[in-house]
Amino acid sequence: MLITKKKLFKPLQKKRKEKVKSVNVHSKWKIIRILLTASYLMLGWIFFTVNLAPFSLFLGLTLSFAVAFFTYDLFIEKEEAARRSLLPRIYLLILYPLVLLTKVYLASFKMIIPVISGQSNPRVVHFRTRLKSELARVVLANSITLTPGTLTLDLDNDHLIVHWLDAKTIHSHYAARLIKGHFESWLKRIWM
Amino acid sequence: MIFIFYIFLFLSIFFAFFGNIGMLRFPDVYTRLQASSKCATTSLLSLFIGLMIFKGFSSISVRILVIGIFFLLTSPVASHAIGRSAYEGGILPWRRVRKKEDISEDR
Repeated sequence: MLITKKKLFKPLQKKRKEKVKSVNVHSKWKIIRILLTASYLMLGWIFFTVNLAPFSLFLGLTLSFAVAFFTYDLFIEKEEAARRSLLPRIYLLILYPLVLLTKVYLASFKMIIPVISGQSNPRVVHFRTRLKSELARVVLANSITLTPGTLTLDLDNDHLIVHWLDAKTIHSHYAARLIKGHFESWLKRIWM
Repeated sequence: MIFIFYIFLFLSIFFAFFGNIGMLRFPDVYTRLQASSKCATTSLLSLFIGLMIFKGFSSISVRILVIGIFFLLTSPVASHAIGRSAYEGGILPWRRVRKKEDISEDR
């Protein structure tokens, strides 16, 4: 009996071809991450060099792709899966800094009172957030640092440690409600 | 327009002044960080806003806007880094000591 090599290897070859055809999720996700980081960088380039000449656009595009190719893993993590964390609601994202700015001004005026009187009651408070995206948590921590007499000391997953200059309670639930204010609901609508 | 620009410049000087006074007056690392981070951020932001109003809508004001957004992102991170290193290093936060008269004699 003579079994040709072709007959033996045909099914194997077919299987290999099918494997190639089936969607490779990781490489696709990699391409999406590179494209997203490149587009964000390109937006930054356009805002920074207010110049729509074709040469400058070409330079920005090549440079942003070169930077995105090396740093996409830092910008967007491999496990980051929520769609809203990659594409935030832009009209709210533009409104949010304005809300933050008014709060920052009010906070600084409130800050002057303990500076003059020298009286404060500082405590360290622990509480948790309900936000799921990493970026939203970081923005929440930053905006807590900028608002009245609070300073974020540590952010570990969803656990925040906050230094409060004029502490009213040490109870974590009420402290969270007083410190976070409206920021959490805003960020929930932007990123979730 | 120039008048609003001057108001913002004055606000910037005002907040920088009180931030520095807070740095000198407060007792420990964390409270000093609170004063410096908040007041320095506000003073620089009001300077940026004043300059944007002074320049009107031009290419320079867009650049100032981008710098302001970057500053809004990075300045809390800097103060957070100092505060966290102090907290991990084991510096206990200062607390107000209560007077003897305030503590009830039952205990």
